[in-house]
Amino acid sequence: MSASAVYLDYAATTPVAPEVAARMAECLTREGTFGNPGSASHAYGEAASASVEAARAQVAAAVGAEAADVVFTSGATEANNLAIFGTAQYYRDAGRHIVTARTEHKSVLDPCKELERRGWSVTYLVPNADGVLEPARVAAAVRSDTVLVSVMHVNNETGVIQDVGAIAALCARSGRARLHVDAAQSVGKCSVDFAALGVDLMSLSAHKAYGPKGAGALLVSRRRGAHLTPILYGGGQEGSLRSGTVATHQAVGMGAAFELASAVLPTEHERIAALAERLWRKLRVLGGVLRNGERAARVPHLLNVSFEGVEGESLLAAVQPHLAVSTGSACASATQEPSYVLRALGRDDRLAESSLRFSLGRFTSEADIDTAAEVVTRAVERLRQLAGA
Amino acid sequence: MKYNELTRRHFEQPARAGTLAGPDCYRGASGSRSAGAWIQFDVRVSRTGGASRVLEVRFLAFGCPHVIAAAGVVAEQGEGGAPEPRLPQSIHSLRERLDAPVEKLGRLFVVEDAWIAALRHAAGERQNSAHDQITPSSC
Repeated sequence: MSASAVYLDYAATTPVAPEVAARMAECLTREGTFGNPGSASHAYGEAASASVEAARAQVAAAVGAEAADVVFTSGATEANNLAIFGTAQYYRDAGRHIVTARTEHKSVLDPCKELERRGWSVTYLVPNADGVLEPARVAAAVRSDTVLVSVMHVNNETGVIQDVGAIAALCARSGRARLHVDAAQSVGKCSVDFAALGVDLMSLSAHKAYGPKGAGALLVSRRRGAHLTPILYGGGQEGSLRSGTVATHQAVGMGAAFELASAVLPTEHERIAALAERLWRKLRVLGGVLRNGERAARVPHLLNVSFEGVEGESLLAAVQPHLAVSTGSACASATQEPSYVLRALGRDDRLAESSLRFSLGRFTSEADIDTAAEVVTRAVERLRQLAGA
Repeated sequence: MKYNELTRRHFEQPARAGTLAGPDCYRGASGSRSAGAWIQFDVRVSRTGGASRVLEVRFLAFGCPHVIAAAGVVAEQGEGGAPEPRLPQSIHSLRERLDAPVEKLGRLFVVEDAWIAALRHAAGERQNSAHDQITPSSC
């Protein structure tokens, strides 16, 4: 990939914000807070611990949680695993049924599949054609032995926002099922209020919000009495829910990134929405294009478009020298699989394959959007002509 | 996915993309868009005296870059050759030249099938079976 390619893959990852990187660097060297935050017996450890706790407070403030709710992890994948395995194990005597959706991230689906292998029962709900998981359907799937409902807040492929608040209210009525929300794509793209939503567990990722890779958190609502069995054992860090020395620089980076994301959200939301609409208006002119999740509530930074009459791998290959985007399919390998998310929305295999996910971010400019529209238009027209369409 | 120079050149600049028309042109197609690979070859065949050869080849392609490149290479190699219903080189050899994953062999066979279909139509004409000739209206 040429370094000069326009980067429109911010949903995959974001560059670390310079001010965040500077804060992280302060934790790494002898002059900084390099101590083990678990070393309470000396000033080095105390300084590192103070940095971690400050970061914990920043993360909590950005998502409407209590600092005590924040359990630092290595990322959203670990947070999802901890939420699912930890809940399943803790409540195993109360029931062994989980409700989730087919459009969840693999780090939710794969733990669920593993639990099925261990004798659990999992219901995989299918969203409607716009990618929306209707709360009533979630409630209908909850059984007397359901102990966990796991639903993502913002879908990583379509940007569709689920009505988590309504799902939480319906789950609460069941009395038993805990609600876990994968919010890896949410911070900095839409408002997140953990306490107000009424969810029990929430997974967060730092690197989707201009923080470092390898950093994340699971919010565990103390107020709602959520309990987990840990999946890692050792030093008993993070309230014994996640043993292992807390990576001070990662936690500090996440805290700084989340604080920054909250500060710029109001202005960025509007700017990004305008850019995404500009891109969509230009692509729509091609004809034979479908905006996935068009009628649903979405985050503004994500635009997922299916192009009729072109083959997915060729489309990606044609735009790749100029654009860093991802396809709606896991098309990078020889064993190509059309996007399971788009298929769950009712797109056929060909259309699911010929989809591009444009995800805009803090550094996306109007010129980037115009370049992207021009590159994609040229590629689609050329491939359609080549296919005799 | 990474593509080698040959694949990228034929994918980005498919020199023989298009169609042919006329009484000395023959068409063969294979595959389907819904299955992910579809190829159409048009060949113009010259017949002078007892000898005949492929004068010109054009193709249309729906498929991944390896499929498009394979069609381009076959079209390039086919020009000037005898109108025999077989590839100028084996599909296995072509796959290796394009550095296509072995999983794509099935798609590359679609290219071979389309080429053979076009040349069979040309051979059929020699036996006074002109129904596969391409007329301008059919293009």
